[in-house]
Amino acid sequence: MSQAKTEPSSAEPSHQAQSPLLKGPDLERRFRELVSEWRAEVAPLSSSTARVQHPAYRAIIALGPAVVPLLLRELEQRPNHWFAALRSLTGADPVPLADRGRIGAMTEAWVTWGKEHGYL
Amino acid sequence: MDNLESLFPGLRGSGYLVTSREDVRYNCVAWAAEDAEHWWWPDEDSYWPEGVAREETIAALVAAFEKLGFVPCNGSLLEEAYEKVAIYAAPDGIPTHVARQLPSGLWSSKLGQLQDIEHRLEDLGGALYGHYANCLKRERPVGR
Repeated sequence: MSQAKTEPSSAEPSHQAQSPLLKGPDLERRFRELVSEWRAEVAPLSSSTARVQHPAYRAIIALGPAVVPLLLRELEQRPNHWFAALRSLTGADPVPLADRGRIGAMTEAWVTWGKEHGYL
Repeated sequence: MDNLESLFPGLRGSGYLVTSREDVRYNCVAWAAEDAEHWWWPDEDSYWPEGVAREETIAALVAAFEKLGFVPCNGSLLEEAYEKVAIYAAPDGIPTHVARQLPSGLWSSKLGQLQDIEHRLEDLGGALYGHYANCLKRERPVGR
């Protein structure tokens, strides 16, 4: 939990404005909006760099550690490139180097980590 | 289909074919390298061949395919004895996409986490992928 990066300067103003204080249903609603936006816009991109630099992705990170359970549940249900966000928000990195690029194995590592740490 | 054509206007009326379902497990670079089990990209979370720089440059992509036996070539026209891969890049030179040439001369691409398609090289040029920038080839294995 010690390494939360927010990098608000890379997010668009509309993403920044609502981020810091959201909780409960408001947090979840904002999270879902940002996930939908991100999924739609990065789907055709192969550059994982571009995927994690997308403003909606940065805005999800800016929601802060409270979003970690939502992110882990999203990852478990629809595996995708949430690994950089989870690393940034938790300071953890449970994925073995040998599994880099294996979305299924990376997802499994994070879901296991989430269960072990009480997020799931 | 409509979604693909709105993303890549060059596909409209081109006769392209969708040849797979969406799949987040692999991307265009993996597909060009004939690997449908990994997401290839020179970043922290992706597979990248050992010994090749993890930097988002055409040179790094070229080096990755050289590891697979490809060598730089002069053009994208079909040469029967060779397999070719084409690298696309944005105007700033950042690589965006890789396509693999089929024996027919058409190209096969995985579109990010979306489908695989068969298409003409120029069909994917535009705002999302920039344009064809570089080509590599290797001898086509017997039987292909």
